[in-house]
Amino acid sequence: MLEILNLNVIIQLLINGILFGTMYGIAAIGLSLIFGTMRIMFLAQGSMIILFAYICYWLFALLGLDPYISLFLIVLLGLFFGAGIYKGLFKGAAAEEDKNISLLIAVGLMFLIENLMTVFWTANPRSISTGYTSLVFRPVGIGIPFTRLMGFILAIVTTAGVILFLKKTFIGIAVRAAAEDMEAVTLLGINPHKVNSVAFAVGTGLAGVAGVELATIYPFDPFFGFIFVLKAVIALAIGGMGSVFGALMGGIILGLLESLASFFIGGGWADAVSYGVFLLILMFKPEGLFVRSVKKA
Amino acid sequence: MLEIQGLDVFYGDVQAVWDISLHVDEGSIVALVGANGAGKSTLLKTISGIIPAKRGTILFSGKSLTNLPPQDIVDIGISHVPEGRRLFSNLTVLENLKLGAYTSRARKNIAQSLARAYDLFPVLRNRRNQKAGSLSGGEQQMLAIARAMMSRPSILMLDEPSLGLSPILVRTMFELITNLNRQKMTILLVEQNIHQALKIADQAYVLKNGKITMTGGGGELLSNPEVQKAYIGSRWSRQ
Repeated sequence: MLEILNLNVIIQLLINGILFGTMYGIAAIGLSLIFGTMRIMFLAQGSMIILFAYICYWLFALLGLDPYISLFLIVLLGLFFGAGIYKGLFKGAAAEEDKNISLLIAVGLMFLIENLMTVFWTANPRSISTGYTSLVFRPVGIGIPFTRLMGFILAIVTTAGVILFLKKTFIGIAVRAAAEDMEAVTLLGINPHKVNSVAFAVGTGLAGVAGVELATIYPFDPFFGFIFVLKAVIALAIGGMGSVFGALMGGIILGLLESLASFFIGGGWADAVSYGVFLLILMFKPEGLFVRSVKKA
Repeated sequence: MLEIQGLDVFYGDVQAVWDISLHVDEGSIVALVGANGAGKSTLLKTISGIIPAKRGTILFSGKSLTNLPPQDIVDIGISHVPEGRRLFSNLTVLENLKLGAYTSRARKNIAQSLARAYDLFPVLRNRRNQKAGSLSGGEQQMLAIARAMMSRPSILMLDEPSLGLSPILVRTMFELITNLNRQKMTILLVEQNIHQALKIADQAYVLKNGKITMTGGGGELLSNPEVQKAYIGSRWSRQ
């Protein structure tokens, strides 16, 4: 009996890890797209996710809008927001090709969003409680919380959508090309600012998806964003730069590691394990696990 | 067709191009030759709008290009194959070609342009779903030229198309350029392979330290003793 219980516990841990990891994965895909064209880590990504979680919370608390309905609004808002912050904040620095300035702007934006959120919503953790928040499916005795399952499905659908976008649309192909060589893209008559702003828009649109996912599953506070973006960076390191699928897998692996570490070693160890893995990956497989290195043409 | 007057270009504080004037007639091959660092690539990048001009004018069919953004210059009909090809190696051959037809004018004719590219370079049709990085050096140069032609340019600027190719491929490449020219493509060619470039050029300019030091017909410069002594020498004379 004890054997079966242990097996169940382990399966439960794996499921929780995968479901939580998809959220890191979605954030990591956004980082990867923005890094691809802008060559900076968009450190405000985590705070954007929390901001969208708060907007989701507000839409729910004030208007009674179901999170999965407000998802569409929030993703749309994210797309516009991304294009807007590129035009308003990053365009000048990108034109000068000064990555340090862009990076500083991203950090400044992160602190600005964090503190604005504290003003608006205080530093107390918030959470959304709907009729299905505590709904759990129990097929064959393993508990699968509904919101996490939804998060997982959302992540898969979103990733597939991003991959299709990057493969099938002109501007999507241009975003991939820009990750290799922005000047060559420019020489083909493609406006680099357009490519950058599309990458930003999709990146923050993804932050919208992650934000709704987070809001339905976990309590959050304004300062969770920074930790979140660090985790997304780790997911990206595991999965490898420039691969959308790799970024999602990196997130899932990180989620699994944290879930297993916090059960078997202790809650406080989850972070230590993820940063440890980060270091190991950087030392031994810096290109990531899911990227085959193709030699430069 | 292309008319440059008194062009000065700076890289930061360093002047790379000094008071250059040149013109490219419609349907001709014009060669810019000179040693490494003479300012040839800088000149092409300035025409493309990647590097701003400090002084001077660039006119294309009477229209000023000075300080237009690169996308407008491509749309007007100037296409630039950069040095080192600059293909997107993780994208397929077809994706590389498609991006060449990004501007709205080119996008309308994309099917036609693709057919023409495949006619010109049949090997690209067979390899269209392969990653560009997996092509051989010669195939990559073909793809780079085909990609630049997808925007349906009226003038093609080629920066060192023979760089890194084997002697046989170098000859094929120059034959190809003459062929394109016979099909009414105007060509502005930058080359370090001075002998070959002068052989096919209608008009040529010799650049040194960012200044034009000599100009004349291709054959004329080829037989000029000064050019032979300075740039060609015995190593090249047999090629």
